[in-house]
Amino acid sequence: MITVDSIRDCLEGSVPATVATCAADGTPNVSQVSQVHYVDGGHVALSFQFFNKTRENVLANPRAAVAVIDPGTAAQYRLALEYLRTETEGPLFERMKAKLAGIASHSGMSGVFRLRGADVYRVLAIERLPGREIPPPVPKKSLLAALRAASERLMRCTEFGKLLDELLACLDEAFGIGHAMVLVPDGAGTRLYTVASRGYAASGVGSEIPMGCGVIGVAARERTPIRISHMTSDYAYGQAIRERAAEQGMADRLETMIPLPGLPDSRSQLAVPVSADGRLLGVLYVESAEEMRFGYDEEDALVALATQTGMVARLLQEAAESHDEPPAAAARAAPPGGAPVTIRHYAADGSVFIGDDYLIKGVAGAIFCKLLRDYAGAQRTEFTNRELRLDPTIRLPDLSDNLEARLILLARRLAERCEFLKIEKTGRGRFRLAVARPFRLVEIPA
Amino acid sequence: MVQSLPMSQPPLIDEELAAFLCGPVSIYVASRAAGNLPVLVRASGCRIAPDRRRATLFLARSKSESVIGAVRAARVVAAVFTLPSSHRSVQLKGTDAEVGAPAAGDFEMVARYVEAFAREIDPLGYRAEMGRALLSLDAADLVALGFTPSAAFTQTPGPGAGAPLRAAAP
Repeated sequence: MITVDSIRDCLEGSVPATVATCAADGTPNVSQVSQVHYVDGGHVALSFQFFNKTRENVLANPRAAVAVIDPGTAAQYRLALEYLRTETEGPLFERMKAKLAGIASHSGMSGVFRLRGADVYRVLAIERLPGREIPPPVPKKSLLAALRAASERLMRCTEFGKLLDELLACLDEAFGIGHAMVLVPDGAGTRLYTVASRGYAASGVGSEIPMGCGVIGVAARERTPIRISHMTSDYAYGQAIRERAAEQGMADRLETMIPLPGLPDSRSQLAVPVSADGRLLGVLYVESAEEMRFGYDEEDALVALATQTGMVARLLQEAAESHDEPPAAAARAAPPGGAPVTIRHYAADGSVFIGDDYLIKGVAGAIFCKLLRDYAGAQRTEFTNRELRLDPTIRLPDLSDNLEARLILLARRLAERCEFLKIEKTGRGRFRLAVARPFRLVEIPA
Repeated sequence: MVQSLPMSQPPLIDEELAAFLCGPVSIYVASRAAGNLPVLVRASGCRIAPDRRRATLFLARSKSESVIGAVRAARVVAAVFTLPSSHRSVQLKGTDAEVGAPAAGDFEMVARYVEAFAREIDPLGYRAEMGRALLSLDAADLVALGFTPSAAFTQTPGPGAGAPLRAAAP
């Protein structure tokens, strides 16, 4: 039996579909439809863009017939459908809206195609028409083999930073996806910041995007995978980020100081939320300069991979913070020599500048200053995650905050921007501040 | 329901539209089966009569069982013609449709249409081979579906979609 799952390649919108309906008086109507989207094994959704006869008809008589074509083989299918409902917001609507933006841009219809709703239909029957078919252009890579290899590698990770790097390495080596990044939400849930990336000239670690912006921001807000198969300016980041920054004050202009990594000619984009315990841990984002690079199968594989990443991350986070023994009272190494560097911390937004160079802001900035103060005052170099979580000067947004992600952000920014300060992992939930030059911390009150 | 135009009226299809309908357009035809159920199939070309009062669509019988059955019972049809490169789209409707044997020259017309369509979609990123696989049919499989267009609508995506091209005179 043919199922909706077995004809998903026909539901990418690369070849327009056609829908027939009948008015209450029996007059047939036939029209092209931009998008027949896969919902699940028993349902599809048609893009509702204009108030037209098709819409009038299905509201009066819910039956529809749809013809779709496999873009690889020219196989033709007919679907008998029954209209159920229209969704005008939420995950399905956002998935279709993003995909339609890509289709519109690809077909020269940007500005004309606008999704008003996702019309959800029950699939009553699928018929495969007789006729000539052609062999598909390129045999598909085995996604299951890639998923298996990646899955085994992720299970061996014992530290959150390694887990992120291994995830990106697996995408590259097992899936052939060379451009990818992971972003995590800040505590307030209004922004996401880049914590790991692969395949870009500059890592962009620390770069931020507002929640709801681009495929990444929409995937995070709606907690659903968002996928685009053609280049479109509708989901571009640059302008949206600049506009948001302009609306806000100094703190938010800092958002734009670290550019978001990304391909200038990105044609295929997929953002997949990473969650655990119903909480958003981050977003995995992949992109390609090739059109139609990611289909339903790639989306499924990456969702499975993201699910596993979320579970491993959760386990590692628990393990890191269950260690509550005090840090080893290691003697501080002899103080380094040389002229002291001024490090300024602005209390107003938590931003930190080393000399004149911007390093970090927010909670990661507050953590950094606590470490510097403890180093200067109590001569400490060894720290634990647990003490940071309990420290009132850091003001972590809540108990479930991904502290490990903030430490990775800080460690990576230091590695990229500062030659004399380093954060080194020393064990589960423990790390060391290595100082190779004297510094002077200047706290600037709000 | 729109009635067929009396012979005293000018034909609904002007020369320009006739050329469009017979060009390298994607064609789907729909009808109504028992229980007010829509049925549809792809057509492999179109012929417009010299007086432009009758349109004939070419179908593969092997793919069109449901449409042929519905047309024989209800005689109503709707057909949509879309040019892939421009998205220009026109829908014709009729209430006197008949299915019959092809006329002399129809099979050659189908072959020319298939090649023209394959050439039309090639620069759009679809393989010409795909157009041929979709549309080519055997001579023995060819049937002709003829009807008098009684209403025409523009279907080009946009706010004007669905507007009548020209209202049938009373």
